[in-house]
Amino acid sequence: MLAKRRKETFNHLIFVYMLFLILGCGPGNSDENMLRIGLMEEPRTTNIWLASDTNSRKVLSLIYQPLYTYDPDTLELVPWLAAAMPQFDPETISYTVALRHAKWSDGTPVTADDVVFTVDLIRRFKVPRYFSQWQFVEKTVAVDDTTVRFFLSEPRAIFLTKTLVNYIVPKSQWAPIAQQAENTKKPLVALLNAKISSPMGSGPYVIEQWRQGAFLHLINNPHFFGKNLVISNRRLGPYADSILFKIYSTADVAILALKRNAVDYFWWPIQPGYIDGLRGNENTKVYLSDRSALYYMGFNVRHAPFSDPAIRRAVSFLIDKEFIIERVLQGFAAPMDSIVPSENTFWHADGLPRYGRGMTRSDRIKAAYRLLSEGGYTWDRPPVNDAGSVVSPSRIILPDGQPMADFAILTPPADYDPARATCGVIIQEWLKDLGLPASARPMSFGALLQRIKDRHDFETFILGYGQLSLDPDYLRNFFHSANDRPGGWNMSGYRNPVFDRLADESGKAMDPSRRRYLVNDMQRIIMADVPYIPLYNPVAIEAVNTNRFAHWEQMIDGIGNIWSICRVRPQTRQAARDIDN
Amino acid sequence: MQSKTETGKHERHSYRAKLLIDAWRLFHDNLIGRIGVCLLIVFGLMALLSYIPPHVDPMYHPMTGVDPEISYASPPSTRHWLGTDNIGRDILSQLLTGARVAFLVGISSAFISIVIGTLIGIVAAYWGKMLDGLLMRFADMVMVMPSLLVILLLSVLFGQLSIWTIVILIALFRWPAVARVIRSQTLSLKQRPFIDMARVAGASHLRIIFRHILPNVLPMALLYMTFRITSAIIVEAALSFLGFGDPNTVSWGMMLQWVWKTGHMFQAPYWLLPPGLCISFMTLSFYMMGRAMEEVLDPRLRRVRNAKHAAA
Repeated sequence: MLAKRRKETFNHLIFVYMLFLILGCGPGNSDENMLRIGLMEEPRTTNIWLASDTNSRKVLSLIYQPLYTYDPDTLELVPWLAAAMPQFDPETISYTVALRHAKWSDGTPVTADDVVFTVDLIRRFKVPRYFSQWQFVEKTVAVDDTTVRFFLSEPRAIFLTKTLVNYIVPKSQWAPIAQQAENTKKPLVALLNAKISSPMGSGPYVIEQWRQGAFLHLINNPHFFGKNLVISNRRLGPYADSILFKIYSTADVAILALKRNAVDYFWWPIQPGYIDGLRGNENTKVYLSDRSALYYMGFNVRHAPFSDPAIRRAVSFLIDKEFIIERVLQGFAAPMDSIVPSENTFWHADGLPRYGRGMTRSDRIKAAYRLLSEGGYTWDRPPVNDAGSVVSPSRIILPDGQPMADFAILTPPADYDPARATCGVIIQEWLKDLGLPASARPMSFGALLQRIKDRHDFETFILGYGQLSLDPDYLRNFFHSANDRPGGWNMSGYRNPVFDRLADESGKAMDPSRRRYLVNDMQRIIMADVPYIPLYNPVAIEAVNTNRFAHWEQMIDGIGNIWSICRVRPQTRQAARDIDN
Repeated sequence: MQSKTETGKHERHSYRAKLLIDAWRLFHDNLIGRIGVCLLIVFGLMALLSYIPPHVDPMYHPMTGVDPEISYASPPSTRHWLGTDNIGRDILSQLLTGARVAFLVGISSAFISIVIGTLIGIVAAYWGKMLDGLLMRFADMVMVMPSLLVILLLSVLFGQLSIWTIVILIALFRWPAVARVIRSQTLSLKQRPFIDMARVAGASHLRIIFRHILPNVLPMALLYMTFRITSAIIVEAALSFLGFGDPNTVSWGMMLQWVWKTGHMFQAPYWLLPPGLCISFMTLSFYMMGRAMEEVLDPRLRRVRNAKHAAA
């Protein structure tokens, strides 16, 4: 009897304990303030030097911070880890940067030594992605604990806009790893393969737990320098206690999760087909943002037939960008007439040739036919007959009398990017209107890049840059003859001494108006020779769940940015009270 | 003498005709078989009709034709009986072309796998010993390979595969089961007196195989062909749905991939359902036909059914 009563008392105690637990988990606890973000794929690494995939970079952008970042409204450089804009000394060609009193996530201060160490590490190991941006920095000196000075070998326009927006890493965590890597036969490989389970950063969050294949949990960095600071007229948080990254392998599941309150934001561009469903749902809101992106068709200009600019221009006439944008991208893109997107108003050149824009299909074929006929191309049955009507042509014959061989338009697979895969098939049909024997060939992205960038084994391809920097230095990277090498960014193999000279000069021009003039000239040359045909710049379509968090910061490339993460606020009353307290 | 031979030939022909008529009667009596054939006739008509729409108007071309006034996924209308996809292409034209592609993939790859499987099965059983062991171990190796995964890997390595490469690859992974069945049939046939007689009469190995063994295993091979067609259609649809199909071919799997990847899965049932249903019903029709053929070829199955009928 006594035992029974004891058992009952024990059960009651357990019940009361559970009740407390449940009540304790009510509004205002950490779950309520947890921001749940959906990712399409799992991040591949937490090693900042290895992270080349977009998901790893998204996560690491909340941990590691740069000296400067871009203002979300004006897109001008604003101090981030730095306390003020850099001071340039033209005599010594050096920039002096003062640091904020920031701390790493372990509580130790971010010092000039950390900055010097980061630059030295990148230069010593020649870390891919970063080395080219620091290559011309001859020397980095820590003037004092919070002041650092960069000495450049020559004036470089990209130093402010590209170099200083790179991340700074803590010396205390990376110095032992670098030292260990240097003692191996392949130091760079050792550095890239270093396992960093809990990266130490100065950003708003740190990794709490990563259960691979399931989720990634980040919690607040109590030492974040930006807490309650006002930068670019924005008071920074972060206001979410933690971030839970959930992995959704398909967009359909992620969209369903958004609609059903299972996730607050899906950090991935959404296909236009989902928009109606999302707009019709009371829990979700769609954000449409401009992007600084370039989707284009490239040619291998190293050898015939595409070494001839006439045939490249003819292809430009045949490609109906309006059709692609209206139908394949459902209107959520802007046509491009230059390598620099028109949204980048300062650097975009006006008055460039707009091949075929506004023309009918038959006018396009006639214009391309005229161009090629003048260039010495012939047909057994031309695409335009004697009566001036467009007819189905025979295979085109090159100026040397040989019929053009079959060639492929390489694209990423539909699984990776349905728009580009569809563009490949559509362009193939348009090229056949002129007797060009093209066939679309989607292939896995890795194999595609290897074939185009490393082996140069291709004729044409369709690729894109989803996030072009605002600085137009990529023009130099894409088309300078020095980059025409295996693994180099000049994938087309374009070589033009006049362009090279302009590119070199623009890289050194410190006067923005002079540089703008040079960049405009570079765009004119490229659009006359068309080693790349720019196709479209898509709109970033993103969606959030509006029930739990608000105040997302929209800027170029969407709402997935450090400003949003530092500003987004919980909606519930209790959570708001917690923030106020 | 000559008239005797002619009479013999005539008797053989009429015997074969009787066998065929009996087989057809048995098949016709089978409800499952009848449904299967009806469905197949519908799909056959769809495949034949697929040539017509592009001639009516270029906008009905399944791959390149677009409605000049519609540039979004639109529901069924008088102009587009099953609606349009997101680019403005006619879904009905795509569906009809998909039937043609399904027949092409299914029948071609099944035929190739049956030819390979039958030849290997007969050769292994006829010559036996070490050759039999080698061929059967090889068949075992191919049989346990995950075909879809291997084809996916090949596609990743060598870029998107053309429809004919996909047909051949499916065939190369689907012959071992056929080879095993044909081998066991041949082993049994090999012991029969008529083979011994042919051998004693001086018939060559090739003659024995092609004149005496092959005709006897052919019905079984044809039965297996119906099941191979089903699996070939499913493999091609799966490949296309996952984004590894031939981008220049409009197949039902490809249609499903388009509706999925463009985000219309839950927005456009008129686009999602037709290819999905067609894949299901076409594979079902071949499966039903196979089941009915199995009963025709195997009297034991017939006896079971008849016994059940009698008991009822």
